[in-house]
Amino acid sequence: MKLLPTMCPACNSQLKAKSLICQHCQTEIQGEYVLPILTRLSPEEQLFILDFIKSSGSLKEMARLLRLSYPTVRNRLDEIIERLQEADKSENTNGKEKP
Amino acid sequence: MNEVNDSSKTISDRGLIQWLFNPFRFVAGYKALLLGLAIILISALFGFLGNTHFDGVLDVHIGLKAPIWCFFAEGIINWLSLAIPLFFFGLIVSHSTVRMIDVFGTQALSRWPHLITSVVMLPEANRRFGTYLMARFTLTTVSGAFDYADMCIFIFAMIVVVFMIIWMVALMYQAYAVSCNIKGARAIITFIVSIIGAEALSKFLILLLLR
Repeated sequence: MKLLPTMCPACNSQLKAKSLICQHCQTEIQGEYVLPILTRLSPEEQLFILDFIKSSGSLKEMARLLRLSYPTVRNRLDEIIERLQEADKSENTNGKEKP
Repeated sequence: MNEVNDSSKTISDRGLIQWLFNPFRFVAGYKALLLGLAIILISALFGFLGNTHFDGVLDVHIGLKAPIWCFFAEGIINWLSLAIPLFFFGLIVSHSTVRMIDVFGTQALSRWPHLITSVVMLPEANRRFGTYLMARFTLTTVSGAFDYADMCIFIFAMIVVVFMIIWMVALMYQAYAVSCNIKGARAIITFIVSIIGAEALSKFLILLLLR
């Protein structure tokens, strides 16, 4: 399955979805849809978030299952939080610029 | 519990280099603390058997005979002299939550190259050649003849000791970076300040202890 592109290959700006299609009846909806913030993360980071949820949000449990130390898992989560905060900030800035 | 995806391929890279220079990616907390304390105690025991004193955070010296508790105390003082300032720097500088057990545990474990040092320093040849060298430098009467075998063992031990100290410093830095989640210039500066302060503090405390 192809990965969802989220960044413009020409200018590296955030991409938006222009059309959505129903695979069953071929109905196509056109518009300008903002991609969910989690799609800005790399596939590896998205899997990490899924693992975190599956571990009931327990870093200790996640560290045990991944056979990593607690601070390693916590540091990874902190990196992802930082990336999400940056993405959120840039989205807010872009939203204010465009009326 | 659900199975976890292999979401952390890059962070769970388990190569030999990772294990040698950054084992803290896999071991921290109580496990590291228990392992580290065991290593400090065993190193002290070998130090006692070979009269090898770890009389400072980074120091290794062939010294005088002393009671076994002195060797244990040296190990504990060295460990705490560095772990305490690093923990406080971590609290001040890091944006993450810093757990005391991780800082103290990983710093204890990072002293494991000293275990190899204490074993390498065990042969009596090191003391004989050390005494010979001291006598030559201080221009006192040399007791015993010059022995090539002693010299070779001594040189080998010194090379190993230098590499072990470099390796230990690299481990201490990685332990700090992982347990406090600090990178770049902030990590390097606070680590250097801590290690210089810890070296002075440990020297002073060990001097007070052995006086």
